[in-house]
Amino acid sequence: MNKQDKRDDAEDGQDIKIDYEDIDIADIMSQIKRRIASMPEKPPEDESFLPEASPSPAPPPEMPPDIEGTRSRLKSMLLKFTRPFSPVIKLLIFPVHHELTETVRKLDNTNKKLDYWTQKLDRDLFRMSENLSKKIEEADRNANRRIDLAFDEIGVIKEYTKLLHSLSHNLVVELTKLKIEQEAGNLKSRVLEKDFAFLEKREKALEEQVFK
Amino acid sequence: MKVAFVVQRYGQEISGGAELHCRWVCEHMKKYWDIHVLTTRAFDYVTWKNHYGKGDDEVNGIPVKRFPVDKPRNPEKFGRLQSYILENEHKEEDELRWLEEEGPLSPSLIRYIDEHRGDYDFFIFFSYRYYHSYWGIQTVPEKSVLVPTAEHDPVVHLRIFKSLFRKPRAFVYNSYEERKMINMLSGNHHIPGDVVGVGSEVPEKAFPEKLREKYDLKGDYIIYIGRIDENKGCRELFRYFLQFKKEAESDIKLVLVGSNLLRIPSHPDIRYLGFLSEEDKFSALAGSRILIMPSFYESLSMVTLEAWALEKPVLANARCEVLKGQCLRSNAGLFYENYAEFRECLHLLLDAEVLRKGLGRNGKEYFNQHYTWEVIENKYVSILDRLKKRE
Repeated sequence: MNKQDKRDDAEDGQDIKIDYEDIDIADIMSQIKRRIASMPEKPPEDESFLPEASPSPAPPPEMPPDIEGTRSRLKSMLLKFTRPFSPVIKLLIFPVHHELTETVRKLDNTNKKLDYWTQKLDRDLFRMSENLSKKIEEADRNANRRIDLAFDEIGVIKEYTKLLHSLSHNLVVELTKLKIEQEAGNLKSRVLEKDFAFLEKREKALEEQVFK
Repeated sequence: MKVAFVVQRYGQEISGGAELHCRWVCEHMKKYWDIHVLTTRAFDYVTWKNHYGKGDDEVNGIPVKRFPVDKPRNPEKFGRLQSYILENEHKEEDELRWLEEEGPLSPSLIRYIDEHRGDYDFFIFFSYRYYHSYWGIQTVPEKSVLVPTAEHDPVVHLRIFKSLFRKPRAFVYNSYEERKMINMLSGNHHIPGDVVGVGSEVPEKAFPEKLREKYDLKGDYIIYIGRIDENKGCRELFRYFLQFKKEAESDIKLVLVGSNLLRIPSHPDIRYLGFLSEEDKFSALAGSRILIMPSFYESLSMVTLEAWALEKPVLANARCEVLKGQCLRSNAGLFYENYAEFRECLHLLLDAEVLRKGLGRNGKEYFNQHYTWEVIENKYVSILDRLKKRE
């Protein structure tokens, strides 16, 4: 197998290069897109869907030569006789059918063109909506990221607040304990002072007794 | 571990995408977990009319609890409401009303989930857009896993789903594109979610010659398998194919397989085979030159994976991001956005056998790497194990 095989294109001479041992779809698709871009664009006109053209109407038969007077008499009689049926005759004789098919054909062509432009419009709208949705997604993602960051920060602040609250609580408890201990110490020192005063008095009394 | 699978419909006869996906996953995961299926009594996805009998059921060895649908869907009323909410400014209550109209409206199923939340370790919900998933996840968010099966259709942008996508414990996505879309819509990046998809059971042998004989198929053909519908891009496919036949001097035929909802053009090179058995479907696929996937909306195309399993290249519609992404990741298919690209890609694929073989090989490798049942089962097990450990 050739490692670098090629597909020749007889139409425009451009190749699609494929490494068959390591096929890369993205690369093949970009080559295909490049090829298409280099081709002339043509609208999808499909003549096979058009109705068959109706045959042109046959020429009116030639009148046999006749005597002028008889012909005009006959003509006036015929006209008089056929007057009540003239709308029906007109409908049958004149090429209404042809006009109708012409109109239908024109309408059909217009419909086809409308279809083509509608499809083109759909495609463009689809592309635009894709782009728009990508941008919205991007904005949405950014907003979500920011919200998440804000939530994270709020979480950290909440934790700090909790810690500060607990620290203040502990400080109050410790200070209260210290105050109580201080008061107990004061009390003890006053008791000891009294004990010393008493012991001093007793000492003096005992000295007096000893040296008497 | 006791796990409940919650899905809108369930049954051997149901061949719809998400429902079949759910049944296949249940049947493969029953060797790991104690599985129950919670579903409705509906069979018809248009009206959700009660079809299956009351009481407990069993499908291929899996216990199934069916709950009645209180009110069948009125398609006309639903269509009107959907048009209204998609085209007008509206409130959240309107969207909830739309959800109720969409159905399948089965409050008893939600009540059961609420009352028995303690009996199950996890609830795996299939299809985000239906009543059972929305209200089920609101009921047990801490135990729910969602398999959204979301496509890029307009309803995914409704605001009720934005909050829904932020609720479950975990997600099981069908494709990277689906995950990206849901993450962007809801900003649920913090919720764990794996791209899993669904496996496929491909027969070891296919019999394309037998099928050709049975249906009198002659010459080379490309194949489309699936619902023949405008939403699946079939109308565009017919137009492009007929144009291609007119321009190119090719005797290639287009073979269509699946249920038909569209007028198929009468052309000697377009053959409609109808709905085929699995064996015939694989035989038809094996005998084709390429699989063509013209669909605009897919959350995961099972038939594309099956084609790759049979080493067949794919020509997909690039306007479906999932299909395009799958082709690019696998290096096993080309894609088109317009007729000119369709023509060029088809020319290239039909002319170069060596390219078809190379793409087929890549497809098979991609399938084996990501979509065999062993891989899928391991992914499901690992997701629930991780969630269990975090409790």
